[in-house]
Amino acid sequence: YMCSQVLATGLSALYSSLPRKIEVRGDDWHFLRREDWIGVSSLVLFMNSLEFCNAVIQVAHPLVQKQLVDYVHNGFLVPVMGPALHKTSVEEMIASTAYLDLFLRSVSETALLKTFLRFVLLHRHDNMTILDTLVGRINSNSRLCMVSLSLFRTLLSLNCEDVMLQLVLRYLLPCSHVMLSQKRAVRDLDIYGKTAAKFLSLIPRCCRPESPPLPQDRDEEPPSWARGHGSPGADAPPAPKPSTPSRLSFFMRQASAGPAEAAAPRSPGPSAGSPPRPGPRDEVAELDRNYLEYLRDARHSIDRCAWACRVWSAPYDGEDPRAPGPAPSPDSPPGRPPGPPTPRTKKRGLPEEGAREAPGGPLRGDEPGGGGSGPEPRDGGTLVNGAHGTAEPGRPEGDVVVKKVRRSPQGEGEGGKGALNGAPRAQPPGWEPLPSVDSLLEELLARVPAETPGAGVSIETFTEELREIEAEMQNGGVGGAPATSTEPPEPPLSHEEEEAFASFTTLPEGDAGTGRAPPRPPDPLAQVVASPPRAVGPPPSQPFTGPFVSVLFGKLENMPHNSLYVNFLLTGLVAQLACYPQPLLRSFLLNTNMVFQPSVKSLLQVLGSVKNKIESFAASQEDFPALLFKAKKYLIARGRLDWAEGPGAVPALRRSDTLARSRKPSLGELLLRHANSPTRARHAAQLALQGLRDGGLHPLAPPARHGEALRVRNAVYCAVIFSEFLKELAAIAQAHAVTSPFLTE
Amino acid sequence: MNPFWSMSTGSVRKRSDTEEKTLSGELRTSPLRASAKKQLPSIPKNAVPITKPASPATSSQSTNGTHASYGPFYLEYSLLAEFTLVVKQKLPGVYVQPSYRSALMWFGVIFIRHGLYQDGVFKFTVYIPDNYPDGDCPRLVFDLPVFHPLVDPVSGELDVKRAFAKWRRNHNHIWQVLMYARRVFYKIDTTSPLNPEAAVLYEKDIQLFKSKVVDSVKLCSSHLFDQPKIEDPYAIIFSPWNPAIHDEAREKMLTQKKKPEDQHCKSMHVSGLSWVKPGSVQPFSKEEKTMPT
Repeated sequence: YMCSQVLATGLSALYSSLPRKIEVRGDDWHFLRREDWIGVSSLVLFMNSLEFCNAVIQVAHPLVQKQLVDYVHNGFLVPVMGPALHKTSVEEMIASTAYLDLFLRSVSETALLKTFLRFVLLHRHDNMTILDTLVGRINSNSRLCMVSLSLFRTLLSLNCEDVMLQLVLRYLLPCSHVMLSQKRAVRDLDIYGKTAAKFLSLIPRCCRPESPPLPQDRDEEPPSWARGHGSPGADAPPAPKPSTPSRLSFFMRQASAGPAEAAAPRSPGPSAGSPPRPGPRDEVAELDRNYLEYLRDARHSIDRCAWACRVWSAPYDGEDPRAPGPAPSPDSPPGRPPGPPTPRTKKRGLPEEGAREAPGGPLRGDEPGGGGSGPEPRDGGTLVNGAHGTAEPGRPEGDVVVKKVRRSPQGEGEGGKGALNGAPRAQPPGWEPLPSVDSLLEELLARVPAETPGAGVSIETFTEELREIEAEMQNGGVGGAPATSTEPPEPPLSHEEEEAFASFTTLPEGDAGTGRAPPRPPDPLAQVVASPPRAVGPPPSQPFTGPFVSVLFGKLENMPHNSLYVNFLLTGLVAQLACYPQPLLRSFLLNTNMVFQPSVKSLLQVLGSVKNKIESFAASQEDFPALLFKAKKYLIARGRLDWAEGPGAVPALRRSDTLARSRKPSLGELLLRHANSPTRARHAAQLALQGLRDGGLHPLAPPARHGEALRVRNAVYCAVIFSEFLKELAAIAQAHAVTSPFLTE
Repeated sequence: MNPFWSMSTGSVRKRSDTEEKTLSGELRTSPLRASAKKQLPSIPKNAVPITKPASPATSSQSTNGTHASYGPFYLEYSLLAEFTLVVKQKLPGVYVQPSYRSALMWFGVIFIRHGLYQDGVFKFTVYIPDNYPDGDCPRLVFDLPVFHPLVDPVSGELDVKRAFAKWRRNHNHIWQVLMYARRVFYKIDTTSPLNPEAAVLYEKDIQLFKSKVVDSVKLCSSHLFDQPKIEDPYAIIFSPWNPAIHDEAREKMLTQKKKPEDQHCKSMHVSGLSWVKPGSVQPFSKEEKTMPT
């Protein structure tokens, strides 16, 4: 069909007339919104044309559709978009990246979207996929970084398996990033909130609510949780039950040990009518309320994501799909532990191939070399932290092996080289040499005897008779499975169930979470210990979690030096990533009990390093509390202004709500209430800051020494964002454990 | 079964044939359906709602080693997660529902479909210690003291401790207690009984034991429509078969296939994308034309 060709070539022609350089409005600009391009006639023309393509594809015969899609690919994307993305001038890169992002957001037809994605994921320009090039650019300086982050935000929001596969999952599939003994922990869920606790513990001391003198009174602040759970608002995730705000309020009240205000906050709407909480506001309560919002958002995001991902081809749980590549070496694992399998896993069988030995495959040995992408620092300074912060004394559970693999400070931050805003890097003080791998091993060994109390525990409590039964049952029915010598009149218990029962009453080790997770081997420690070279030796090929994760982590590590806007986008992207329910990804980002290969950096390590940087900065900055307070205050102030006057960024309801209350919301509320998604909230806060700057209200800029001022400002804002980010991650970690099975089944 | 938070979608189980038959027979003929008066929510899409712990005094600081102010969230979410695990477990004939007032108290009912206790419908309450998961094992108390060696003839409490001498976090879960509670009716254990009479009869005079069990089952059934022992909006309440209410619900249950789309489409329009062929790890490996919408 001629028209197809015309359409596609038309796109090319129109694209060539687009501005090469985007007129920038403020240094927080990072993506093209409608109001940005509606005034640019060439862009309007292009968008109309693209929209037309989209519409044609919507109604066209499949053949026409295919043809048009091919033309778009071969006639526009490859010859025009590809080179445009690879222009050498940064301005042009920024423009083309922003255009691509805009196009991706505008295309609604699956077929057309597929073409775009195929182009991004698979097309090679100068022997690099577009994707890798774009990933690398996250590492560049501010503006290009922000535009690239926006593009990835768009990509992640598609919940597209192909995208996630290429970006992250294929690097995780071989499970080479985890210690072999940990492989089956991939699916574990943290049901007791330990991960959340871990994240929250990383909130820098200087940002803890109790430490800074915040004169700000929050008396007027309505309890945010009234809104969070009280109203089955349109934005709320499917309300699991008739809403029962009163229970919650009751709970919250006692939890925060707050004043005995009425259990009234069952406001029907978004908190507008909530009675003000009397009495002085204690920060803890504020945190709690704020945190509840994060919990709600996390639940919502994860539900959405899990629901969207049900169309995926595989669960990515460490078993399915299997990593491609060479067959697993036969001598791999120390073997499956004895002990009854659980009913729901035995049939699937646990892949025991020494996945971490699987070389090649999708593993890319190295990073995209060009494009300014900095490889994750894989320095030799990697050490193993012998401290086991989260290990519970004397309890043989799954997190026995909780050593955090840490990185020495020397190595950190290297990943973000290109991204520094010219600021000196604060070296975290107080880093002490960490115990080595050997000491980890020693410790494991030392704990072995103590960690096999399964039998002992039960025997002491059971009678002789039970011990006889125990003998009858395989592996000893230590749990006191009430089997009798008398045959039951009927066999009403399924074999599966019997096995399940036996498994949880006999095995000393259990799964750490889900009912369907396999039981741990009776002693994972023994397993680790049994194969020391395997467990701790240098892997044949350095495990690598992929350039995307690497770049993001590098950038995260550099947070104190990033601009506020970069940090908004960056943390939003990581949070987006953390919402994906695939066990491989979830465990990589959020399972703090997982032991990674020494060369693999964990999110927790990265955040720990940021925490140290912030704390050392705070220590070096005498007036840090004041600065922090100022930063929060102005964020909030501008946030309110933005709500009232913002260009349609706020839903009407919320806006009126805002107007109705002339009170100061907490910063977290600012960030969160602003929109339903933290990402948008970030954006809002970003706008707020822009206004702050433009309006001359700059709180943190001393008249002179601009560079220094910038450094300080970035660090202070980072402290604010970082703390909120940790809460967000903690909430996401908690929400994962309660994701409804109905969403994914 | 979905409307009732079913943990027994019969099709899942191996022995589902007989089970199913019994189950549907139950549905058709018996008025004893778990038709909670307070309309049970259609399905626990996310999980149980957050509730407050039963005993106000001790609840909030029960999780050790956590940032104090967040402690309550850990407890709440742990219990939510436990409930999610129960749902995943799909225990046949076992239904639970956390109470309105406290996440630490769950109402439940067990349907026994075979064996000595066949046709038994036993309501119970699970009490989770407020220092969960670091405390003792949950207690399980039947509303009426079922005649059973392991059930206290006075209090109705089941001897859960023998199976969970020491409650170990991560290793032990509440669904296991529920599974155990179901199991005791199929595998009778007479060692160190709470009800010695039952134990002795079971060993020495099985006929008498059986008849006592039958009496006990009957007694429980006759009290099925009683007001719940514990006043709570989410208590499980049985009512006689009322065609006006129940016929439609039954119809829905019987016809409803596993179509989660139906349940969720209203709230979630989002759909992800995938062009990955199952089993492949290559992007765009799926054949053309099989694109999801």
